Amino acid sequence: MKKGLRWKIILTLAILGLCLYLAIPLKEKIKLGLDLKGGIHLSLKVKTDDSINGETDQEIMRFTELFKKNSITFAAAAKDEKPGKFTFTGMDADQQAKAKDLIDQYTADWDISYMADRVTFTLKPAVETVLRDQAVAQTVETIRNRIDQYGVSEPLIQRQGTDQIVVELPGVDDPERVKELIKVAAVLQWKLVKGGPAQDQATLLQPFGGAVPADMEVVNGDPKRGHPGLYLVEKVAAITGSDLRTVRRGTDEWNNPAVAFTLSPDGARRFEQVTGANVGKPLAIILDNRLQSAPNINTRISDSGIIQGQFSNEEVNDLILVLKSGALPAGISTGEQRVIGPALGSDSIRQGMMAGLVAVLLVMSFMLIYYRLAGVNAVIAMIFNVVILFGVLAYFKANLTLPGIAGLILAIGMSVDANVLIFERIKEERALGKNVTGAIGLGFDRAFSAIFDSNLTTIISAVFLFQFGTGPIKGYAVTLIISLLANMFTAVFVSRLMFDVTIPKTATKLSI
Amino acid sequence: MEIFKKTPQIKFLKYKFIALIVTAVIILAGALNIFIGKGLKMGVDFGEGTLIRVVFKNAIAIGDVRQKLTDIGLGGSSIQKINNSEREYQIRAVEVRNIKDQAKDSLESHAELSNRIIAALKSDEGKTETAQGLADLNTIDQKSLAALLETAFPEKGATLAEQVLTARKNETNKGAFADFSNLSRDGVQADAANFLKGKTFLGKLNVLSIESVGPQVGADLRNKAVLATVWSLIGMLIYIAVRFKLANGVAAIFTLTQDVLITLSIFSFSGREFSLQIVAVLLTIVGYSINDTIVIFDRIRENQKTLRKMPLEDIMNLSLNQMLGRTFITSGTVFLTVMALFLFGGPVINDFAFCMIIGTIEGIYSTIYLACPVVLFWQKWFPGKRGRR
Repeated sequence: MKKGLRWKIILTLAILGLCLYLAIPLKEKIKLGLDLKGGIHLSLKVKTDDSINGETDQEIMRFTELFKKNSITFAAAAKDEKPGKFTFTGMDADQQAKAKDLIDQYTADWDISYMADRVTFTLKPAVETVLRDQAVAQTVETIRNRIDQYGVSEPLIQRQGTDQIVVELPGVDDPERVKELIKVAAVLQWKLVKGGPAQDQATLLQPFGGAVPADMEVVNGDPKRGHPGLYLVEKVAAITGSDLRTVRRGTDEWNNPAVAFTLSPDGARRFEQVTGANVGKPLAIILDNRLQSAPNINTRISDSGIIQGQFSNEEVNDLILVLKSGALPAGISTGEQRVIGPALGSDSIRQGMMAGLVAVLLVMSFMLIYYRLAGVNAVIAMIFNVVILFGVLAYFKANLTLPGIAGLILAIGMSVDANVLIFERIKEERALGKNVTGAIGLGFDRAFSAIFDSNLTTIISAVFLFQFGTGPIKGYAVTLIISLLANMFTAVFVSRLMFDVTIPKTATKLSI
Repeated sequence: MEIFKKTPQIKFLKYKFIALIVTAVIILAGALNIFIGKGLKMGVDFGEGTLIRVVFKNAIAIGDVRQKLTDIGLGGSSIQKINNSEREYQIRAVEVRNIKDQAKDSLESHAELSNRIIAALKSDEGKTETAQGLADLNTIDQKSLAALLETAFPEKGATLAEQVLTARKNETNKGAFADFSNLSRDGVQADAANFLKGKTFLGKLNVLSIESVGPQVGADLRNKAVLATVWSLIGMLIYIAVRFKLANGVAAIFTLTQDVLITLSIFSFSGREFSLQIVAVLLTIVGYSINDTIVIFDRIRENQKTLRKMPLEDIMNLSLNQMLGRTFITSGTVFLTVMALFLFGGPVINDFAFCMIIGTIEGIYSTIYLACPVVLFWQKWFPGKRGRR
């Protein structure tokens, strides 16, 4: 045997062995995509306007206080409809001159324009971009925390584009709960109750002359927690979720599940102040703008307490989880939601395997009947191709999806194409009177450019498909690309090697 | 074995004008159908809406399913039997156009819609059991089931739950047990099956999948799909132009565009839904249909070197005839695999396979009748400095 040939055989067997090692056992080594395994795919959009609005509110509050402290007068502070813009109206030139020093001193993030009787703040575009970006990044982090604590194996939480987040949770079969877990803003506030509960706004506001006082606001009670009415509460929160130091399971006085918490030193100081000054009055616990409960303050509380609200065990667990992971910086809307049950996936796998088996048998029989012994060569190359595909899939931990299985089956049909081109060329050369080994050599050499070009064009379009596609379709593009690349090796190199090994130099007949 | 014992002598290019007319007619018919006729049915990927797949524990007639949806005012939804069984159905809910409230998360309205549909399909069945505190074994999730089993079988809850859910999704149950006797038949431990019989009930149906896509994502995907197709066409143009000549590149892109358009035209008449999978097929066709064309171009190039005197049209005819067997065999093997997918691949992949079948057959036609004429026309109209080759 020639030395070159020996090395080729060793190389081929080594690749085969490596791929088999990587891919076997299939059940453990090949990761299934969501569509086969079951799970949830969510495409979320972060309402980054929320975070800009939040920033605007804070800035308004800051300057309102600053102006008051320095006795600068103005009529009102008004938020523009466009997020990131607000105006102090009713400020004359004198006041504006005084305000300018303060503004210059305290903020660099806003563009300020001074007009006859007003000062308008516009958030600088660069700052706005950063804020929006942060909101999305923070949301990704928060969601990741929540999912990690909930316990999903191999979740995918990925930012996409400017404000999209893709969440894929394989194996999750409880979509509603998980969705709730992801989407809940978890903004927790403690506010003093000033009125209510009442059935409607008119009754609620009667003691206040029918209008909401400037330092108060109306919140809905949460009917799920047994508080269906409306409440009037103070606008400024005594403490918020960000003051929490620890949260854990606890019980209320009737032994119902509740969330026990401790506060940070700063939060504890403020909580002590508020509770000390308001003993006997109700303090509302508000989660995402819904009042959960409004227990009376029995005594001064400093650094610990409980959140009660007729929760179930599960609800307490979930609430602890979201409180631990922190509040979302902005609201989320769902753009796309796919929930695949495990039963659908199993069915798809069964049918995919059936189709694959039939496809392999059909192509195999065709090649064997049409090309006889040379067909054996092509069939082995084809099987080799599939082995490499699984090996590479396993190595890159790529997901096998249902369209991916379709791609695999399609690739079985495409992978023999190269051998067809080669064999036909060999026949042609034989018909022109070339001897067996000469014809084989020419067949491989002359068919190569067409094989290379045709495989590469298919790969090009598959790459564009990969760019465009979502989960399952990406899986399809990946299997197609891998098997076409492998095809150039198996159909050309391996198949040639098999001829070299099996056909003696002196052969006068070729079964093709 | 040979398809053709001798190289055939068909004068393909004689029919180039007829072929162009046929192509134009098919594309025009498709365009009329898509833009004026009933239009391309957009699947849930590209349109808004909700696609629900359910499996009933017992067979139910399609008329009954429709009646239940009509009762809640959704009789217009498309309802399809799946796998030829009267247990599995696919329901595409009509869009909730009446909710114009932009502030409302429009996908939430889809989610509500799917909840309403599922509730309607279940009707009142299972209400009494639920009221008694029994869990529905056909819809219960793994964690809850494990917790339930744990109460009677300490330390073994997770294993048993796995057993039960594996049985639930096997080939006969397909996601919903028809009877408690199926549990022990399909490998669930007898005492666990007995325990579950007392603690759970078998709900009428199980939801296999729910897919909802909001208007924004749908529009976004549509744009991306068009872009991906256009870019891959441009990629082909460049690649072929570099490897061959500009004329071949132009011919390739022309051929491929018509491949895509003809496939779309025929697809639009099939009444199937246009989905992400179909975009995948179109791009595959773009990438694959070019293969035969390349083989022909390759042969033309080779023949031009040896047969310098022969006019281009004759060289093309010769090359097409020489390669005819190859064209049929290569497309044929792919056709075999696509047929296997179409017949056995199951409902989820059926549209994919259908579209691929059109594409494979159509690809043969376009290679023979379209790619070469375009090169011919191009060379005639832009005869380059060295004249016609």
